Amino acid sequence: MDNPYLELTEVFNRGRLRAVLSSGQAVVVHQLAVMSKDGDWILREESETFRHVLRVLAERGARYRFGAPLDSRWLAGGWSSHLEHRWDGLRLRTDFVSRPPRISPRELEAIWREAEELEIPVVGLDPLAALKKTNREKDYAVIGELARRMPSVRSRLLYSRSARDLMKLADAHPETVRELTAERPLLAVCGRRRDEVETALDAERRALMRANEERLAAYAEASRSWAASWPSVVKEISGSTLTEAHRIVVRRAEGVLPFAPLTGESP
Amino acid sequence: MEDEFLSEEDLDLRNLPWEEVVAYWNLWLRQAQATNHLDEPFYSHGVFVRDPAVPLPEGADADDS
Repeated sequence: MDNPYLELTEVFNRGRLRAVLSSGQAVVVHQLAVMSKDGDWILREESETFRHVLRVLAERGARYRFGAPLDSRWLAGGWSSHLEHRWDGLRLRTDFVSRPPRISPRELEAIWREAEELEIPVVGLDPLAALKKTNREKDYAVIGELARRMPSVRSRLLYSRSARDLMKLADAHPETVRELTAERPLLAVCGRRRDEVETALDAERRALMRANEERLAAYAEASRSWAASWPSVVKEISGSTLTEAHRIVVRRAEGVLPFAPLTGESP
Repeated sequence: MEDEFLSEEDLDLRNLPWEEVVAYWNLWLRQAQATNHLDEPFYSHGVFVRDPAVPLPEGADADDS
């Protein structure tokens, strides 16, 4: 039995590794929960990858949704590209990034290295937990459960959302807690009362949610002109093949959507 | 006692053989299509929140996502 997101992952990676399944559908592959109907992939930042993915989606009659062009100049700046098509009565949304948030260049390299060894190229537990530090409450429940699946004590200490689990871990591994406290300041209170650890967990979650909101607000501000012109872009690409639409979207985005808004690079 | 994050149903997923996981996944995706009209302009991944070319569904707040 096949699944549309597994099938797309296989086709995206035909011949070589280009796309790693991420976010909600990766949570399913880890057999944790089914909670998202959209697909999300991390792509290799190479023109061959973008051409291949566009070709695959063009064959399926996909169309662009509002977003950045599927082009390394924008995706290298942290933007995301969004396409959609129908498959066997399902609306399939295919979302792409090449620089996932909260993942360092070293961690991104590790994602690619580990994916090479997997039958289904999927983001591993640690980076998946980092990706889930969004502004949505439900993602913190997923992080809590992901942490329980992590084999290393270090990872569990960095990602656990349970006061009880953290207190037990801290009690058993005080040296590791000392090593990791700079990275996760909350660990400094894990030797105290449970309600204090719970309060620290709540504060940490709220801070993470705010940080992600601020990140999204920066992209929203940078895409204000692009959003204003998008309805006319939609008219222009209406009736076009995806290949033609891609050319139009790139041309229209040039000079309007800055490549790297967080570093202040101008279009 | 242990802190709980997900439902029993979700946690059972890890005990299912892979074919059953995929069957449940496919069924869930099919059932989730019933809410497509409610999330048409919104995004669940990436840096965009709302598609400016798609009208908001009735009753949705402009800040919904």
